Amino acid sequence: MRILQYTRRIVLSASCLILLFICIQASSATAAIAAPANQQMQVGHVQSNPEAARLLQLKQSGRLAKTVNVLSALPPTTILQFPLVPSGIKQKFPDATGLVTIVRGDRDNSTSDTVTIDVQKMPPNITFTIFFIEIAKKPFGHVEYVADLTTRGDGSGESIFNIISLVSFAMDARNPGTSQDDKEGLTSGTNLEHLGMWFSSLQDAQKVLNDETLKGTIFDGGNPPLHAGPQAMTDGQSAPVF
Amino acid sequence: MFCSSQPWIARGCNILLALLVLLLLGACAGAPSSAQATTPQATSSSSGNTTTGGASFPTAALQLRTPAFGDSGQIAPTVKVLASADPTLIIQFPLVPSGIKQKFPDATALVTVLQDTKANDFDVVTVDVQKMPPNVKFTVFFTEIAAKPFGHAEYVGDVFTRGDGSGESTFHLITFVAFAADARQSTVQSADQTGAASGIQLEHVGMWFDGVNSARQVLGNPTIPGTPFDGGHGALHAGPQAMTDGQTLPVI
Repeated sequence: MRILQYTRRIVLSASCLILLFICIQASSATAAIAAPANQQMQVGHVQSNPEAARLLQLKQSGRLAKTVNVLSALPPTTILQFPLVPSGIKQKFPDATGLVTIVRGDRDNSTSDTVTIDVQKMPPNITFTIFFIEIAKKPFGHVEYVADLTTRGDGSGESIFNIISLVSFAMDARNPGTSQDDKEGLTSGTNLEHLGMWFSSLQDAQKVLNDETLKGTIFDGGNPPLHAGPQAMTDGQSAPVF
Repeated sequence: MFCSSQPWIARGCNILLALLVLLLLGACAGAPSSAQATTPQATSSSSGNTTTGGASFPTAALQLRTPAFGDSGQIAPTVKVLASADPTLIIQFPLVPSGIKQKFPDATALVTVLQDTKANDFDVVTVDVQKMPPNVKFTVFFTEIAAKPFGHAEYVGDVFTRGDGSGESTFHLITFVAFAADARQSTVQSADQTGAASGIQLEHVGMWFDGVNSARQVLGNPTIPGTPFDGGHGALHAGPQAMTDGQTLPVI
């Protein structure tokens, strides 16, 4: 009887110890999963990125603006960054800055690009429209309305959207025409390779810039026509920025 | 041996064993159970919220309303405006086969557009397709006109179909007030759902074969001409329209 009791206690104790061991192992595994990836991953060898190399070549040959940074992203991604500078708000907000980051996945297998716009020291609490445009400066040419950005009280703000950007173009399918895309060669339609920001409201612009003589522009959608204000920020480049 | 030599020691051993088992159970149950044990009692209020020690959680669904979207006779009859919670506006409409009608008559597509009517920085467009040509890339355009000659167009994204002909894509961009314009001609206006607006309104959605070669292969017709409905990669390299909203009145 005693032997049976001893055996039972030994078995129970052993089971408890095994359970304790399993619990400790499970906790360790959970902690390992939660640990930052960079602690687990080995730093791999640097992979070449043909798309980034091609864009760098275009930049060196002047077919991509000098203000564009082609980041050394891992293939198959392409990441471009370029600044926006004040245009219509230059006198009142000379320190305003904008940074555009475009991320594209695989050249032929992405459904759209991700565009992030970060601004600082802009007029506070104002909504700006964002357009892809044919020409960085007036008369701007063909345009595509892509998003809005509303600044906070400190003049900062950001907008993130997913849209075709690196091969964006405007066309009337009745007569699409062609244009030379420095990155792609001859393409359909008119390439839109610049980006600008406009005051969404003419009244806002008149108030912020303290100029009642400003005229309405087309740079916002919806009713009524010409209710938008002047351009606020531009990439300011002759060569394409994307 | 030692435990069994004295009855009080044996009892002590049993108690220790029980404590060890309890400790193990507690350790295995982990933090959530201990958190639950310390969570204050939840109380329901008459406003439909549950209050738990200062935090308030809803216990009922949000009130839904059907927001206005265009006036009667200005929106295509295929557009459904969903009853949704404030401040969202959600519409849905189908796409039907056009260029693939003969080979894929059962192809379907559903477009869902969501707008936060207060923030309104951009709209979210989701395109879901079924029974389309498998493993093919299609481009998605907003167009001035649903049928040929389509007019002004804006390239918004791509959809890749899987092996079973299904696929989906989501885009974030200006949709309800999308328009095409040449800023050199700022006097050009057109009618939007809200009245007159700058530029040419783009109020239709269509899908095109990304490549004319894949269209020729899928449709078994080597004479199909190229179209401009894709960016980059050389002029007129896209194929014919595959899906259309097929409406005369606007869908977006």
